[in-house]
Amino acid sequence: MAASRDEVIGIPSKAFPPGISRAATRGLSIDSLVAQHYGFIWRVLRGLGLSRPDAEDATQQVFMIAARKLADIDPDRARSFLYGAALRVANNARRGLRRRREVLDNETCDEPEPESRGPEKLAQLVQARELLTQVLDRLPEKHRRVIVLAEIEQLEVPEIAALEGVPVGTAASRLRVAREKFRALLTAMREQNPFGDEP
Amino acid sequence: MKPDPIDRLGARLFEVARSEAVPEGAQQRALEAARRESSRQTPTSARLSARRKWPVAAACVAIAAGAVLVLRPREVSLGISAEPVSVAHTEPERRTTSRMETPSAEAPSTAVPSLPMAPKPAPLVAPTAVHSAPASLSDELSALKVASSALSAGDPQAALAALDRYDRVLKGQKMRAEATLLRIEALARGGQTEAASVLAQRFVEQNPGSPLVDRARSFVHE
Repeated sequence: MAASRDEVIGIPSKAFPPGISRAATRGLSIDSLVAQHYGFIWRVLRGLGLSRPDAEDATQQVFMIAARKLADIDPDRARSFLYGAALRVANNARRGLRRRREVLDNETCDEPEPESRGPEKLAQLVQARELLTQVLDRLPEKHRRVIVLAEIEQLEVPEIAALEGVPVGTAASRLRVAREKFRALLTAMREQNPFGDEP
Repeated sequence: MKPDPIDRLGARLFEVARSEAVPEGAQQRALEAARRESSRQTPTSARLSARRKWPVAAACVAIAAGAVLVLRPREVSLGISAEPVSVAHTEPERRTTSRMETPSAEAPSTAVPSLPMAPKPAPLVAPTAVHSAPASLSDELSALKVASSALSAGDPQAALAALDRYDRVLKGQKMRAEATLLRIEALARGGQTEAASVLAQRFVEQNPGSPLVDRARSFVHE
């Protein structure tokens, strides 16, 4: 039977002995959580539409939540816990951003990561990122999430199912539909291809 | 066989996303913030139930609110910003000035003396110490995110504390309307429905064209 959503995001079950934290018994530390999962959470938040600065803020919030709840986190489900927290933080952040879009359009920009590649290549990467974000923005939320997990994080369907708290069959079906929708949207927006005719 | 161009484009977009590096130093900053968060939670306090935590949190908020009253006696009363709320604070940072630095004698009083309030503690810092440079948009957003997260987590007192910080320390201007709405919600959820109603009514009156006005109106008592 599939795990409930509460279980996959790390909410302790009643069966666990009271007074003894899961994390404490297994040596889970905030240092290890950050070391192992920072990149995953940051990329998920980027995939969910947050700008680089916002994704950094939101990722920090996720680990602050984890620090507060450390005693309740099941080490076997730490990534699920962080993923669930990231979804909630992203939802809050995006709700705020929608209200403030007129401000943000003028005052903040999604600055590209500093890198040594030339300006043309950099511009191409920024455009690619923008195109990806535009396509993902048009996907229903549940499809967006599975696309991010499958295509950016390259997780297998059972892993996606565990993170999403749904049966494997549901995750597989959702991913198939998500890919079809993504492809259709990208086809409609193909004139924005930043790579031109490059192989 | 040559791959479909759309599939190839999609694959390249995902490759770009996969190869994007996290901002330099971001992981370390998160680690330090998380460690600070951990160190603030003693084993005892971590085991306290929400019911037992509430008086502690309320006391902290009361002390913070008292400090706010001392530091900004003309602007704030009972955790309600005395500034006229407006959604017009969308100008670029360089054009904003802190109205806190030039308190106006005509500023309307918003005191609601019938509501309970903590006793005023002695001033912790000289009043001039709070007049610093205006906060950046990012700082303001961060403060409001903290308040919003606290509300989502069912902790209106923490949300009010974050909003007090937004008002007092950051002297927030750009997100004033959003901050006010969060304060209304936090007051309501914390049981201060009358104060929430008063503040919401004022918001509605002063911002009739705001997209947030419907939400504010829902807190106004008939």
